Amino acid sequence: MSDMSVDVWLYGPLARYGKEADQGSFANLQMRLPDGSNMDALLRRLGINADERGITFINGQLSAMPGLQPDLGYTLSDGDRVGIFHPKSMWPFQYRHGASMTEEMARAMRQEKDHGLHHTYEEAGDSS
Amino acid sequence: MWILRVNMNDRIYRLSEVPEAYKNLGGRGTTSTIVYDEVPPLCHPLGPNNKLVFAPGIVTGTAASTSARVSAGAKSWLTGGIKESNAGSSWASYLANMRIKALIVEGQPKEKGKYWMAHITWDDGAGKPKVSFLPADPYTGKDLYEVFPKVYEQFGARAAIAGCGVAGEYGYGNSGIAYNDLGKRPSRYSGRGGLGTVMASKGLKFIVLESKGAPGVAIANKEVFDRGAKKLTEALREHAITKPKGGLNTYGTAVLINIMNEAGGLPTRNFSSGRFEGAAKIAGEAIFEGVKNRLGKEVYNHACSPGCIIQCSNTWYKPDGTEHTSCVEYESDWALGANCGIDSLDDVAEMVRLCNAYGLDTIEAGTTLAVAMEAGVIPFGDGKKAIGLVQEMGKGTPLGRILGGGTEFTGRAFGVTRVPTVKRQSMPAYEPRAVKGIGITYATSTMGADHTAGYTIGPEILGVGGKVDPLSPEGKAALSRGFQATTAFIDSTGHCLFIAFAILDIPSGFEGMMEECNGVLGTNWASEDAAKIGGEILRKERAFNEAAGIGKAEDRVPEFMKFEPLPPHNQVYDVPDKVLDSVYGEL
Ligand code: SF4
Repeated sequence: MSDMSVDVWLYGPLARYGKEADQGSFANLQMRLPDGSNMDALLRRLGINADERGITFINGQLSAMPGLQPDLGYTLSDGDRVGIFHPKSMWPFQYRHGASMTEEMARAMRQEKDHGLHHTYEEAGDSS
Repeated sequence: MWILRVNMNDRIYRLSEVPEAYKNLGGRGTTSTIVYDEVPPLCHPLGPNNKLVFAPGIVTGTAASTSARVSAGAKSWLTGGIKESNAGSSWASYLANMRIKALIVEGQPKEKGKYWMAHITWDDGAGKPKVSFLPADPYTGKDLYEVFPKVYEQFGARAAIAGCGVAGEYGYGNSGIAYNDLGKRPSRYSGRGGLGTVMASKGLKFIVLESKGAPGVAIANKEVFDRGAKKLTEALREHAITKPKGGLNTYGTAVLINIMNEAGGLPTRNFSSGRFEGAAKIAGEAIFEGVKNRLGKEVYNHACSPGCIIQCSNTWYKPDGTEHTSCVEYESDWALGANCGIDSLDDVAEMVRLCNAYGLDTIEAGTTLAVAMEAGVIPFGDGKKAIGLVQEMGKGTPLGRILGGGTEFTGRAFGVTRVPTVKRQSMPAYEPRAVKGIGITYATSTMGADHTAGYTIGPEILGVGGKVDPLSPEGKAALSRGFQATTAFIDSTGHCLFIAFAILDIPSGFEGMMEECNGVLGTNWASEDAAKIGGEILRKERAFNEAAGIGKAEDRVPEFMKFEPLPPHNQVYDVPDKVLDSVYGEL
């Protein structure tokens, strides 16, 4: 099976999972993964538990929020950029309404209470 | 409570009872209503007929958390429309403690270039505030960091200060009103809209408050107030964004730099890209780490004003561990950093310090520098030369005066077409082509492009969320309307807008805010009333603007955004005009 390369950005305390790429407040690494790998595989490779991360972007599209992670099965492609944030990071709703998100995220938001007009989805939303 | 009028024609003051119609107003509701009622919409913003109004919020001065905010309002020198710009400072609580519902500065002295200070204290014998006027000559033409300690020396350490810097004295469109923070720095700002120059045009340099002996805020129903304050405090302590050592307390608002950059919505090099390769070096995470490295310990953020639980204000330190500036907020960090292609926190911090020293709005300053860079005055990314340009503004050189005029003014001086303004006020740090809902608020806000215009939504709009698809253009317009109305209400309560993050997710926090107001005023407002009351304020602001010649043709994003695709998403701004018109059309 051939490999692909993913441009990974880890922010805040997650930078340490970047090992030698750790710059203290962020890490940027080019990761080689087998073709067809998904987000779950990327997180595993990094050693990050899914609930240790919060806001996540794939190619500038919001793919996960704290407590709302519809992206674990997302199939990555060669050259993708993935940005992963610590749960402490925030993106208040009013600053993201109308921003790009993955189809899975848009669907998950629609199913949330109040169409997902919230900041966090663990305590407040019924993310069941 | 009092309405205090200070007339600068001949420096007299008058106290009057609060009219019935103003009884339940506070903050932005008070300033916008008085500007609407008393300022001729077609007056010159720097002429004798404009009025500068200061008003504490409804619960400012009480034990309500995170509520020491003051609104300043007038006809804006930058936009020509109505303006409200609020800040957190002990100055706000002092005004409230003296039971001053509104401080209205009117008229202007005949002598040009002469400045005064108004000293407002509590007259125990008479049981009301009193004002004395003193010459401000020793304090004009100077750096506010140099002047504030001297004003404290003159009036005592317990004073609170509001004033304009040289930017106001020079008459810049970019000039704010500075207030003291808890460390007595001139670092809290009613930054936007040129209010510093309106203040200076009245011959008023400083308003110094001392509330010793004052009775404090009257509370109509203490039980209701206490219940509300408790609910809101609990919400703020619990929510991930606002709690101690939470998102804002750890990384400050600059936590959004990396987020917006990943989202492809961080305006870079004068709004020519949505992604900045140096973003991670200037982000909130980098500030936290940088401070840790320079001081050898973790530092969490501090409060700008008394009684704030969230405590989002950071401090940047020099390599030798001495303080450089406070604070490097998201908007300042972006405007003077990413938007100028500058990736050095030390350079950004120096420009923030200089803006505070001169009385400049950091957002307008950064967007202006970027337009000057686009014009080729200096190259993008050159931090040292950018610092030099800010210094030109402080010196009032001919180039400095062009830049001080603001972003649009500078664009005109240099023939630049990519000028990111709405109603002559520059856009803050969210790219409308990437975050389209924000673009709707930027375009339609009564304030000109403003990120604080649409900040929170009430429960009834959340209900609407069930009916309208928030991802559709109509849904976005409905949301923007709801955001703007509820925000106008929060701006009236005296609470910092950052409580919005918690109360959107925790309904009891929202109720708590309403109960606090009911406790103070003796009203019976329910959560649903927030958007109604806010909507009333917006209607007045809108009516003022229309009478001032600012109608719906100005509710538009700049043209270049409609045909220049923004990388990395390569999208243009495509929200139809009729959707923009529906925001206020259906208010
Ligand atoms: S949250 Fe920040 S800006 Fe708001 S009152 Fe507290 S310290 Fe000031």
